[in-house]
Amino acid sequence: MLKRRLRTWMALVMTVMLTGLTACSGNAGEPANPNAVELKFMYWGSNDEKQAMEKMIQSFNAFHPNIRVKGEHVPGDYTTKINTLMAANQLPDIAYLGDSLTMKWASEGRLLDLSSYYDEYPELKNKLKSSYLYSEPGKSIGNYTALEVMQLFYNKELFTEAGVPVPPADPQKAWTWDEFLEIAKKLTKDQNGKHPGDSGFDPKNIVQYGFAFGNDRSSWGPLLASNGGGLTDKTGKKYTLNSPESVEVFQKLQDLVFKEHVSPDLIQQQDMPSNTIRLQTRKVAMVVDGTWSLLDFSNNKQLQWSIGVLPKLKEPKTMIVAGATVIFQSTKHPKEALEFYLYHNNPEKVDLFKSGLWMPIEEKYYTDEQAIQSWTNNAAHPLEFQKAGIEYARDYAIKPSTSTLRNWPDIGSKLTPGLDLIWTNKKTPQQALDELEPIIQPLLQGVYPDE
Amino acid sequence: MKRPKSGMMRMERNWGLLFALPAILGLMIFTIGPIVASFVFSLTNWTIGGQMTFIGLDNYRTILTEDATFSQSMFVTTYYALGSVPLGLAAAFIIALLLNQKVRGLSVFRTIYYLPTIVPSIANTMLWLWMFNPDFGLLNSLLEGVGLPGSKWIYDENTAIPSLIMMSTWGIGNTVIIFLAGLQSVPTHLYEAAEVDGGNRWHKFFHITIPSMTPTIFFNLVMSLISTFQAFNQAYVMTNGGPNNSTLFYVFYLWRTAFTETKIGYASALAWILFFVIMVLTVLIFSTSKKWVHYEGGERS
Repeated sequence: MLKRRLRTWMALVMTVMLTGLTACSGNAGEPANPNAVELKFMYWGSNDEKQAMEKMIQSFNAFHPNIRVKGEHVPGDYTTKINTLMAANQLPDIAYLGDSLTMKWASEGRLLDLSSYYDEYPELKNKLKSSYLYSEPGKSIGNYTALEVMQLFYNKELFTEAGVPVPPADPQKAWTWDEFLEIAKKLTKDQNGKHPGDSGFDPKNIVQYGFAFGNDRSSWGPLLASNGGGLTDKTGKKYTLNSPESVEVFQKLQDLVFKEHVSPDLIQQQDMPSNTIRLQTRKVAMVVDGTWSLLDFSNNKQLQWSIGVLPKLKEPKTMIVAGATVIFQSTKHPKEALEFYLYHNNPEKVDLFKSGLWMPIEEKYYTDEQAIQSWTNNAAHPLEFQKAGIEYARDYAIKPSTSTLRNWPDIGSKLTPGLDLIWTNKKTPQQALDELEPIIQPLLQGVYPDE
Repeated sequence: MKRPKSGMMRMERNWGLLFALPAILGLMIFTIGPIVASFVFSLTNWTIGGQMTFIGLDNYRTILTEDATFSQSMFVTTYYALGSVPLGLAAAFIIALLLNQKVRGLSVFRTIYYLPTIVPSIANTMLWLWMFNPDFGLLNSLLEGVGLPGSKWIYDENTAIPSLIMMSTWGIGNTVIIFLAGLQSVPTHLYEAAEVDGGNRWHKFFHITIPSMTPTIFFNLVMSLISTFQAFNQAYVMTNGGPNNSTLFYVFYLWRTAFTETKIGYASALAWILFFVIMVLTVLIFSTSKKWVHYEGGERS
């Protein structure tokens, strides 16, 4: 009996010890200032991004002895995670957030209104106009974490071999759709080396495609803007995806796959590797992708690549595709969070800008020659980036509907199945987009302010 | 109940309660609590981050009268269940019969058939994603090898659910084990009696094996029906509900409503409707069970 009692106690003691150990294990190693304010920062991203973030957090902590930021990297389903934390009232102080959720929570008063700190922190005001997110007129909860726009990435060698000009980098000289299509055809080859339009061309055995695009808004969004089309009118209350300007865009994209045979369909794309490998293995000559891909592309040493601007329909346009960093209203330390906020995407402190993943949001990095050089003069940014990156993002980028339309989470999940019909060639764009009208129209609740 | 006689027994009872407490508390806090909470939420318009207002049965009314996605997801789920439950039961039963034979290397076969059940469901799904690939997947390569046309499998509206039904037979290891246990507990004296009466293999199978197995079949039917109605991973990993909502499983729709569209109130109502549907189906099966489920030793229900 004594033995048994002893064993019970042992078990209890062990349990207590283990619990205690887990509780302490978090802050081993760092000389902690007992009075330091603790902040929690949650973010997503690749391993590269995680390492850059950890480095940034360490240097921030070193320079701010009174603040101790703890980073939490979430590799998986970020939206689900942060939604759960919001539902449970256990939010971090500061976090990355998808733009549509940012706008929703901003309008519900869950995010810190940074415009009320403008006098205290004038740096909050020096960003590019297009990067601000407003929940109410004049009330900004901050900016995109970084500015990233859609561009055309291509394999230079394939253009040389085909003897065709590379995509222009100057937005003013963007290809028209016909010019683009013509070149895409020359870059598409079947297994006998024939191009679409040649007699005997075999669309079932294409070994190299001229162009590849995804089925999400980052592919069709910029083209819609370029053609004067859009998901809704300016007020965000009327569905216009079945207007002639919008239908034309989807028709052109559907034709690229099923009529012109210069692009793989979505099922074929499932088999294909990432964009850099697609270009490197000569499966595809041009892809549409976001600025963040500069990091991957510059890491690929076997590929001779560069960037250009997207083809235009009426006028050159690109679209911002970026998440935001937000400070939650629930934080107990708004000032300290602001300090970190201003630090976390400052190109002088974080090397994600030089490595190509991010573009700065501060205006001077787009206008001041020296400041531009400070982050672009390196291998991750080809010469063409001056025009196709900086100028394009500064003067030709629009915000995506995920940032501007109210009620996007609802709209988005109803939109995708309808557009599937276009991407799988089950319906013509006109039919599919007409059928979407009664589904999307009732969900439209207007737009967020733009200043 | 007698009072504990000695101090030792009292102590044992107290310790017993103490050690059971975490489980009891866990049940209260993590199971009963959320169930009650989800019912309360289902009567509100709570979206994550937003204000919560009590709206009575509005969510239920919207779901049942206006929500086309609800009917689509219910249709998809029912279609899937109607295909995969009978197919899964039949396949599991046949495999169990085979595994019940006396052949060499039996344990190897038993292991092989159980193996897919041990592989994590997400890994299974990734594997099938590759098998279904229209361009270089295993299935189309096999079909091409024998000169048959391939299929787009999960990438086509019409073949997506049949493909997933086919895939569902992959994970029947548990059902097989239960059938196998059932087969081995069929009383051998019944077979001997049948032999004495001159019965052949088929007589034995239809008049002894099947009736003796009905309780097991019944159990497996109910369990697989419940789990099929909760199918989720396939949509989450493989198809994202598409193309054109053709694989929008109910639970996937529910999850998306809650965590992408952030409508917790509405999603809670969806969850309760699913609970109700499964309950009705289970009750239906139970009520017919008297007619076809036989228990050894006479009538029992």
